[in-house]
This record gives sequence, structure tokens and C-alpha cells, in this order.
Amino acid sequence: MASTAKLERLLNLTAALLETVRPLTADEIGGRIYGYPEDKTAFRRAFERDKDALREMGIPLVLSEVPGSDPPQQGYRIPKDQYYLRDPGLDPDELAALQLAASAVRLEGVEGTAGLWKLGGVPAASSGDAPAPTSTLTAIPVDERMVKLFAAVADRSPVTFAYRGEQRTVDPYRLDFSRGRWYVTGYDHARSDERIFRLDRVDGDVEAGAARSFEPPEVAIPGARAEPWQLGEGEPVRAQVLIAPAQAEIAVGIVGSAAVTEERPDGSIVVELPVTNPDGFRALVLGFLDHAEVLGPIELRDDLVEWLRAIASSVEPSPDAEAGSEPGSERGPRP
Amino acid sequence: MSQIPAADRLRRLLSLLPWVASHRGPTVEEVCDRFGLEPDELLSDVALVSMVGVPPYSPGDLFEVVVEEGRVWVHLSPSFDRALRLTPEEALALVAAGASLLAVPGADPGGPLARGLAKLAATLGIDPDDAFDIDLGHASAGVLATIQQATDEHRRLRLAYYTHGRDQHTEREVDPYRVHAEQGRWYLVGFDHLRDDVRLFRVDRILSAEALDASFQPPDELPSPELFEAGIDDPRVVLDLAPEAAWVVESYAVDEVETRADGRLRVTLPVSGRPWLERVLLQLGPRATVVRTRSDPALAHCGEEAAARLLARYESP
Repeated sequence: MASTAKLERLLNLTAALLETVRPLTADEIGGRIYGYPEDKTAFRRAFERDKDALREMGIPLVLSEVPGSDPPQQGYRIPKDQYYLRDPGLDPDELAALQLAASAVRLEGVEGTAGLWKLGGVPAASSGDAPAPTSTLTAIPVDERMVKLFAAVADRSPVTFAYRGEQRTVDPYRLDFSRGRWYVTGYDHARSDERIFRLDRVDGDVEAGAARSFEPPEVAIPGARAEPWQLGEGEPVRAQVLIAPAQAEIAVGIVGSAAVTEERPDGSIVVELPVTNPDGFRALVLGFLDHAEVLGPIELRDDLVEWLRAIASSVEPSPDAEAGSEPGSERGPRP
Repeated sequence: MSQIPAADRLRRLLSLLPWVASHRGPTVEEVCDRFGLEPDELLSDVALVSMVGVPPYSPGDLFEVVVEEGRVWVHLSPSFDRALRLTPEEALALVAAGASLLAVPGADPGGPLARGLAKLAATLGIDPDDAFDIDLGHASAGVLATIQQATDEHRRLRLAYYTHGRDQHTEREVDPYRVHAEQGRWYLVGFDHLRDDVRLFRVDRILSAEALDASFQPPDELPSPELFEAGIDDPRVVLDLAPEAAWVVESYAVDEVETRADGRLRVTLPVSGRPWLERVLLQLGPRATVVRTRSDPALAHCGEEAAARLLARYESP
């Protein structure tokens, strides 16, 4: 019963604050809105809890000065333009498709059902054309910081966070999820340049600044690169690798079909890769064993030869500066 | 009485009311289906809203929600005639779910999902093409579609599969149980008739897939095989790893790990095939040393031998 009484009071409060033409003071709320206890202390306690409950739901409760009050008094209201959904005008099949997506993809850490309700609920016959997946297709990890970054991209608010022991302020342009990780790409104020940040390397919380503080670039920026051979800084070196026919298809799966620059009559292919991390590049090539050969440039070919010579003769060469990345980290099954 | 917390009921009501108001008397059943509640919960919420309004709560200020002949009607509820804005969390959940499903190879870029996502993203101020991208991993659209359909229909598959650990191409028949993406890769869990056991396959190593006529009954409880279940009979290798190669412990099925006095890790790993060990040793280079091998002495020098073999290719004129 307590739940019902509280629900009734919350509905009354929301309706009154939405419809009021001027902010209502706490006293007015206690005196006018149905469902509050008469006792002042009990009212205060109930009202504080209700404010928290509404704010938690995303209802914008705004405190401002009551016009014409003397001495000035603060009052509450819910601005309609901040409260109401901008209706995306989804057609039934579009809503059904989004519903299907929400059931196929599990977001670890956030709840999407309430969002679907706001868009019109889950249509009963949400079959559509696509067959319902038998189980979750994938799970995507999301935390509070990711929610803030998403809001910041939408609102164009700069964000501040600690990254590799340094405080960064960034205009976030885009978010990418790749290889199981989130990346944020944006304009780094201190470096006056675009940078990519790995969310799991952000230390602690993300703070968002004022909305509409920047304009995203006119020309779309590319997303985060998560390939092991691209996890370095500096100008990329373009490397050509010859892949034998037996592995050509698998290689395309790893590097993407856009990287293929030549298809030879025997079925072998040449792929070209922008390399910023020689360690990761070497691991990629060696993963193909006898099926791959570095054609150029000469410095990457020499680097590989030197590496192989060291192993062949079991004389320890000096490890690379980039040690610590995870070349060819192979989480794959081997049935 | 309802045990659902008031805030959760409020959340649902504030979405339900506008929807009912904009539809001409939907049935109780339809409303319940859409918003996931039982008819008695709906009736008690409706009774409650009929007591709600704006001060001073004269009869004309109260909302009117009635159920007549199994249909729900809402009148006089201007405050709640539109749904509440999405919270950033709800918006992210929907956009990420939609973008994920669109990232499945073979998804229709002009289909209802793409259109719905674009509309939703536009109201949020997010450009779904330039500001948000989800990559679940590479897979051939044809292969993925075939194995997904066979999984749904419980039909056996014939797969051409590349076994990475043995550097071999095999043909095998598999009863597909589940398809999923994880850490940027697509996987298939299924019963492998070649090995007579449940196995996990990487979809990007399935070169072709064909659904057969044979059907099967999937198990009630889906097994979740480890990425690699080492055979008891597989040979073992004992490696000393430099600290920067510690990722090996996370990435492979390791029998034992021991930290040495010099900071190096001594790990015992099952070897699924010689090519697998060759890759590991070639990639680790000076960061790994073979201490010994068990049950297959030929593996002891496989790193040096593989390096020499590859070198021959680079050093031949």
C-alpha cells in the first residue's frame, strides 16, 4: 500500500510541477499537492525523497527564483521542453526492430526497457520479417562513464578525465566499440590535436562540461583503430605482405578487404597495412607462419629477418621499445 | 498488492499513459503486452491515476482513465500526453543495441532497424554514421547467415574449417547450438561430429558452411565450452616468460603458472599442434624460452626450426 500511496503522490507532484505557470515553493508544494503529510518535518523528508526519485528517473526538476517574490524565494518546476520526449516518429516495424535489437544485445550495466516503453512499448507481435534470435547475440559492457561520454557526444560537452597519469580535456567527437573495448575519439585541448582514448585506461570518473561548447568537425573523422599493428604513435609506414592462397580468405578476415592491393593468378594476395606498431605487425605476419611474406618496405622486412635470425640462433636480441603490447594475443579456440 | 517499487511503476505509467491517450481505446490485453504488466496491475494503476490531477483537485482537474468493455481510455491528462525524454542511459542502451545488430555482417543497411536507429539518433543529436560505431568482428555475411539460420532451425551444418592450432583445413559436420560475438570475434558453439564433442569454432575461420537436411535436438542446457579445452593427452611445453609476455597466461589455457625469483613466469601449456607452438614462440621471440617439453621431444626446438624455415624464404635469392 505504501508503494501505491507514494506513486499517487509522485504523479500529483509531477503533474503539478509540469502544469504550474511559475515555480512552486516547497511550502506551496506541501500545502497544495495531495498526498503529503501535514507535519513539516515529515513533509520535508518525503519531499526530499520524491525529488531524488524524480531526478533518478531523468525528470528535470529545476529550482529557480519565484518571479515577483519579496524577499526572493526559490521554487520548483519541470520545464516541459526538457521533460517531453522528442518523438522520433518510429514506424511500427522500426520500433519492433529496435525491440529485437534490445533483446539480442545485452548491455551489461544499463537498462533499456524503460526507454522502449517511452517510445511506445514493446509491440506484442514483434515478429516482423527478421526471425527472433534464439539467444543473446552479444554482450556489450557499459559503465557510468560510457553513459556520460555518450551524453557528452550528443550534447557537445567537453569532458575531463585522467589518462595515463595526466588530466585531459577533450571535445568528444565519436565513440567506437571494437575488439571488446570502447574508444573515444576527440579533440585534446592540451595537445591541440585529435586523439583516441581507450575507455578502460581512463582513470576514475569522467566529468562533462557545458553543453553546446564545440562543433564536431565538418569532415567525418575515422574511428578508433584497434588493430595490433596500429597501436603506436607517429606516421604510419605502409607495409606490403604477400599471403599464400590457402590463407588468403582468412587474411582478408583479419585485415579487411580494403587492404587487398593485388590478387595474383595463383590465388595469393598482397595486402597493404598502415603500421605504427612494428611489434604488432611482426606478430600478425608470424601468425601466418609459412603462408606470409613481408614484401616491403625494406626496414620492416629487415626487422623481421633480424628477429627470425635471433630465434633461429637462440641468441637473445635486445627486446623492442614497444614491449608490453599484446602482439597476436590469441584468444581463439582451437577445436 | 503490488510489490513493485513506486518509482518503477511511475516510470511505466508515464510511458503507458501517453501511448494509451494517443490510441483510441486499446484493449487491456494489448496495453499489458506492450508494457509488460498483468491486467490486475493495470487496473489498479488505472484506478490510481483517476485520483490524480493538478491542484486544487476539483473534479475537472482530475485525470480520467477508464476501462470499459476491456478497453482503456484516457481523457483530460494534458500533462501526461507525451512520454518523458530518454535518459542518457536509456538512449545509449537503445542506440548501442541497434548499432550492434546493424554491425552483424549481412544486416540490411536500409531496413527497419537502420531507419529506426537513424530516426532515434537524430532526435538525440548523435550521428549514427560518424559519431558512433560498433564492430563485433569479421565474419563472412553468407557464412554467418547460414549458421544462424541452421542454429534457429536445428539443422546440421557441414563446415570447411581452418584449424589454426594445426594449420590444417578440415571438413566437419557440426550441430550448431549457439552463435555469438565476444571480444571482437564471432563464435559458434556446436556438437562436432568429427571430434564427437561440443566445441567452440571461430566464425572467421569457417571458410564455407552448408546446412544439411539432418536435424538435431539441442540440449536443454547450452554447454559453454572454454575457448580451448586441452586434451589430457596433448603434449605439454614448459616456458619461461619475460614479464611483458604475461598476456600469454590470460590468453591461453595454462596448466600451471609459477613466478620465478628473477620475475619471469614459468608456465605449462598444452600444445594442440606443432604449428600452434611455432606461432607462440615466433611471436614471443626473446620473451620466451623453452624449458622443456613433455611427451613430444621433437617440440623442444620447434621455435628455432620454424625461424630457420621462414628465414630460408627471405634469404633465398
